[in-house]
Amino acid sequence: MGRCAVDHPPVDLLRGTLDLLILKALTGGPEHGYGVARWIERATKGALQIEEGSLYPALHRLEDRGQIAADWGVSDNNRRARFYQLTPEGRRRLKRETVNWTRFARAVFAALEATPRMLQAEA
Amino acid sequence: MGEPFWRRYQRFFHADVARDVDQELRYHLDRLTEDEMTRAGNPREARARAEARFGDVAAIRDSLAKTGSRRIRKALRADLRDAVLQDARYALRRLRQEPGFAVTVLLVLGLGIGAATAMFSAVDAALLRPIPFERPDRLLELPQVGIPFQPEAGERESGPRVPDLLDIRDMPDVFEQVAGYAAGGLNLSDPDHPVRVNAGIVTAEFFATLGVRPAWGRGFVTEEGVPGAPRVAVLSDGLWRRQFGSGPVLGHSITLNNRQYTVIGIMPPGFSFPSESDLWIPMTVPTTFETFEPFRGWLPSQVIARVRDGVSVEAAAARSLARWEQVASTPGQTAPPWLSQQTAEFRRTGAAIPLQRDLAGSRRTALLVLLGATGLLLLIACANVTHLLLSRASTRAREMAMRTVLGATRGRLLRQLLTESVMLGVGAAALGLAVAPLALRLTNALMPPALAGLAPPRVDLRVLGFAVGIAVITSLVFGLWPAFTSARTDAAETIKSGGRGATAGGAGRARRLLVAGELALTLVLLVGAGLMLRSFERLVRTDSGLHPERVATLELSFALSAGGRAARLPVIDAALQRLAGAPGVEAAGAVNDLPLRGGPGVLSITFQPEGRAQSANEEPLFARYLICSGSYFRALGIPLLQGRTFTTADDSLAPHVAIVNATMARTLWPEGSPLGRVLRLPPHRPGGEPTPYRVVGVVGDVRETGIERDAGLQMYFPMYAETPANVALVARGTLPPAALLGLLREAVRSANPTQPVYNVRMMEDVVSASIAPRRINTMLISAFGALALILAALGVYGVVAYSVSQRMRELGIRAALGATGDRLVRLIAGEMLWVAILAVALGLAGAWASARVLRSLLYGVTVRDPGTYAVALLVLLVTLAAGTLWPARRALRLNPMDVIRAD
Repeated sequence: MGRCAVDHPPVDLLRGTLDLLILKALTGGPEHGYGVARWIERATKGALQIEEGSLYPALHRLEDRGQIAADWGVSDNNRRARFYQLTPEGRRRLKRETVNWTRFARAVFAALEATPRMLQAEA
Repeated sequence: MGEPFWRRYQRFFHADVARDVDQELRYHLDRLTEDEMTRAGNPREARARAEARFGDVAAIRDSLAKTGSRRIRKALRADLRDAVLQDARYALRRLRQEPGFAVTVLLVLGLGIGAATAMFSAVDAALLRPIPFERPDRLLELPQVGIPFQPEAGERESGPRVPDLLDIRDMPDVFEQVAGYAAGGLNLSDPDHPVRVNAGIVTAEFFATLGVRPAWGRGFVTEEGVPGAPRVAVLSDGLWRRQFGSGPVLGHSITLNNRQYTVIGIMPPGFSFPSESDLWIPMTVPTTFETFEPFRGWLPSQVIARVRDGVSVEAAAARSLARWEQVASTPGQTAPPWLSQQTAEFRRTGAAIPLQRDLAGSRRTALLVLLGATGLLLLIACANVTHLLLSRASTRAREMAMRTVLGATRGRLLRQLLTESVMLGVGAAALGLAVAPLALRLTNALMPPALAGLAPPRVDLRVLGFAVGIAVITSLVFGLWPAFTSARTDAAETIKSGGRGATAGGAGRARRLLVAGELALTLVLLVGAGLMLRSFERLVRTDSGLHPERVATLELSFALSAGGRAARLPVIDAALQRLAGAPGVEAAGAVNDLPLRGGPGVLSITFQPEGRAQSANEEPLFARYLICSGSYFRALGIPLLQGRTFTTADDSLAPHVAIVNATMARTLWPEGSPLGRVLRLPPHRPGGEPTPYRVVGVVGDVRETGIERDAGLQMYFPMYAETPANVALVARGTLPPAALLGLLREAVRSANPTQPVYNVRMMEDVVSASIAPRRINTMLISAFGALALILAALGVYGVVAYSVSQRMRELGIRAALGATGDRLVRLIAGEMLWVAILAVALGLAGAWASARVLRSLLYGVTVRDPGTYAVALLVLLVTLAAGTLWPARRALRLNPMDVIRAD
């Protein structure tokens, strides 16, 4: 259980989380950066406060790794915007990371639920 | 992969990454601003709130632009790689479809590149690659600078004073370190088998001057470089492993020429300077009588110096010359003619030579000439490959036209064709590199002897780089023209004319020009090869004055401390007696210096023929000082022309006698018999009277220092009267070589089992080794000439055959109109007439201009030898005629109707 935390130090964890959210946002179809930001806002009910600008380095990095593909298109208000969409590779990563993330979250959760006495009993 | 290909290219060509990023971010900010408008009062406030939600716009934009352009560069590179790979695969497929063509090109170019690469590695080792000393470009050799000698009691210096080591050491502002060294030989005692070792006799500063340090122990210190100091030695890594089994030797004592030396150091592997030294012992300054022991009566010493930092090598050379002039013109000293000549020579060539250049010595010219020859050969090979590619281009015109029609751009076709050339070039380089090590074995004999063991030629990264470099350059040289011709093809014309292409007319003339150049280069090589062959022929026909067949030899050296003549003579006498009595031995003798053995040889000494007054400013007469047994002349086949040879009765108690060679007899006594004349030699003891010697015989001249050098004046003295420390035994016999050599060894062993022998070999091998560099040189340049001739013949054939095939239709019509076959052949051959004229004019001019560099390599012929030029010209013209007439004959067998119908 503890291995998970060792393998993913906090900084990576955060970045990985953002990647995961972006990938998830794109499962609904091609979307531009602004749209991704809105989806995250809606989906987390505004709980996650991120600077929207930090989405772009993540988007470009994911594009670079071939997990999403980008292309210029026309937005709903008829303006030129850059649209991103999931590639099969991105889809695979989303699936993998979702499993990992769920296990990690459960583990942390379980630990927070536990009382200090339980640990002493085991020792 | 996911996006359509045109989009990738659109991105490359409008790769304004920053603008893309700006646009993308602006869209987001605009949308955010619109959202905020509902909450904010005015657009400015809305914008500010949007930017606050977005974060640091400028920083994000910069970082995105940076990573974006990096990504595009990467993508471009990958694209290029893909394209090159694709071209390469296509080229490979094409070449596999025409194996004959590919193999021909690979062979022709591979041989050319292989020859050039092998010669380059030799030149690299001898001339270019720095010798393995610290900053070797700062090391100068100071010719004619001697080592001071400590005179024996009562002896006094004779002759004019010239600069010595101390004078150079006296210039600390110019030279940081000064050292003297000489390469000699010593006997290393060993209970099992005593051996002869190469010894470097070096001043204490030698290792420091070169900037090398022992791997174990230490080098010499100043106190060990003065007379009377304790005897110490430094071993080479090779000797330490070979003779001492890599065991502990530091502090142990070894015996060299019966004297004990303490081993104080071992040099690192690979260091064996000078002359493949096995060990080093100090040369004392001043030198003493003992210093001369490893040599043959004189000290072949060299002085080197390291130029101080901040002083240019040129300035150091100028200061050395000034020093030489200053010492040579010491007041009260009348300069003899040789000294003024030497000074004048130094004013022309400099009184200091870069060490590396000095070590390369006279081999420099030979190596550079051969490298140049391989360069010419490579050019000829390139010209031939160009012919092949051009012929192929005309047959591929249809393919090119098709591809143009299908949308390939000219640039694309050009790149494709050049890829093919470069692949051929690289393939040829690989083949060449495989051939080069074989050729390298030959070039070993060409390496400067002073660099032996120091800088072995090898195929290393530099050589590899050279081979790949010339492969790429040559493939561009031979590939560009055909590629342009092909890519320029007019598609519509070609397809209309049934694929013959519209390139024929102009290309024919250009190709004849190319073949003329090829023939001209070949003529240059042929003249060079011819001159070298004639020189070599003259050389082997030269009478060396001895008959080396069926003669075995070996050499031995006596330690001075083992006793003088009284100790040496019994050993030689016993060995000679034993040999004389052995069945199968016709004659056996001994001499102090074996002819043609290589190395510095024995001293020439002054003498004064009696009854001939010497005028004051006449140069003293010098003659080689040879000591031999009476049977030596018969053993080596040197004819006795007058008088008698020595006998065992000519010992130290008998009257002094001498034998002179024919040249000496003729020079000194042009009239009357030389027999009974008297020569006066310098006194044996300092301050004594000159010793008179009576001439009792005259023998034939022996070219003992090199077959190409005149024998000069030679004097022989009886070995039973004075026995030298260095002796060569010679035995002529009817036994097979191995048995004869074994007999020689056995004779010495039975006389003294602890006496080491060396250079055990047949006399024919000695002679052969003395001319080996010239033989290899001649062989290589002749081989290059022959290859060039074959390539040129193929080139001519190709051009004429091409011309005939292009003009088939015209020739057919002419034949139909009644032209005879003769006339048609003349028509074809006529095209080659001006090729011949141009080639001969260019070739002769080139040969004439370049033959000068061969001058120092020639023997017995001049660089303008008319016979050689005539033969080379004849060979070239016959080749040209054969190459022309062979394909032209096709015109004779022409059936006019077939040709015309073929269209």
